[in-house]
Amino acid sequence: MTRPGLLQNAKRFTSIQTQSRALQSSAQRLIYRRARPAVTHGNQVQPTAFGKVTKRFASQLPERNSIGAFTPTAAALFVVAGIGLAFYFRNEKTRLEEEREKERSAKSYGRPQVGGPFSLTTHGNKSFTQDDLLGKWSLVYFGFTNCPDICPAEMDKMTEVINSAQKYHGDIFLPVFISVDPARDSTSQISQYLEDFHSQFVGLVGDYATTKAVCKAYRVYFSTPPNADPNGDYLVDHSIFIYLMDPEGKFVDAFGQVVTSADAQAKINGYIEEWRKDHGGSRL
Amino acid sequence: MGWFSSNKNEKTEPTAPNRENRQKCWETRDAYFECLDKAGVVKAGQEGSICRGEKQEYEGSCAKSWIEYFNQRRIIADAQKERLARTNEQFQGAKK
Repeated sequence: MTRPGLLQNAKRFTSIQTQSRALQSSAQRLIYRRARPAVTHGNQVQPTAFGKVTKRFASQLPERNSIGAFTPTAAALFVVAGIGLAFYFRNEKTRLEEEREKERSAKSYGRPQVGGPFSLTTHGNKSFTQDDLLGKWSLVYFGFTNCPDICPAEMDKMTEVINSAQKYHGDIFLPVFISVDPARDSTSQISQYLEDFHSQFVGLVGDYATTKAVCKAYRVYFSTPPNADPNGDYLVDHSIFIYLMDPEGKFVDAFGQVVTSADAQAKINGYIEEWRKDHGGSRL
Repeated sequence: MGWFSSNKNEKTEPTAPNRENRQKCWETRDAYFECLDKAGVVKAGQEGSICRGEKQEYEGSCAKSWIEYFNQRRIIADAQKERLARTNEQFQGAKK
């Protein structure tokens, strides 16, 4: 074929194409005028004034570059939606993770039932109840004066913690020692014992029944029998924890023997910050 | 209980040890246990006639309940050392 022949064929071909397209679009127009649902894309159903226009345009595309219902516009929308959703989900996920972390560390979520009402006598022979813990961050330790080495070590740790915490926060702490050996630990005995530790220590003791009650409230195990010999030489087996209570008298955390003084200080600082945030920057 | 402390007056009732007393007890205990370590004895009382001096000091400075407690703890700590050494060996072996 000669060149002009080629061109003529091309012209004929394109004109045929345009004609067929015109035919097709008019056919579509007919279909839509009868308000039949569109089959081309699968998503759009009823034709509207706008719909007719877009459909007319869009319906031309399937002929050219689509695979079934997957047209370029749909592809573009799909990709955009995909990217948008990916970003959205990523943000939501991190946001939820943060929330969950906050909830987990927040005291209001699953706080253990430690602490409760009690009525004991101080080493100065005054009455002392759970209400006297309010208004300060209390560190409560259960022990007995005849303790070989663990109680003194823990009491020393508490002294250190409170000394350094007071430098940072001021006088907002109350160290408390509760005896689990009521048979031998008289108030004067406790008073003498406390002389070796922080000056603000409050020593508490009661009779066997009240000792048992306060230990139960704090979930403390102790092995003293009800009829212990006041002149006896025995050791008391007991839970070894320092209980941190907030200024509202609620339990915050229990520090075991493995928690060093520095660790405890860091944790306490964290708790105080959190508490202040929750209570609108209160001084305590 | 027999506390040998210079700054205490006559005691009519047994009082709990203060920091000084505790410290003294711990020191005599450590001296005694060192002697036992040198002799390779874990259980206090099995060493025979050696470490007599340290033992007397120790038992004179500490309450009986404390002595029992420290001696028992020594045995437990020793057994734990062995177990820890063995697990450490296993760990090292597993690392290779």
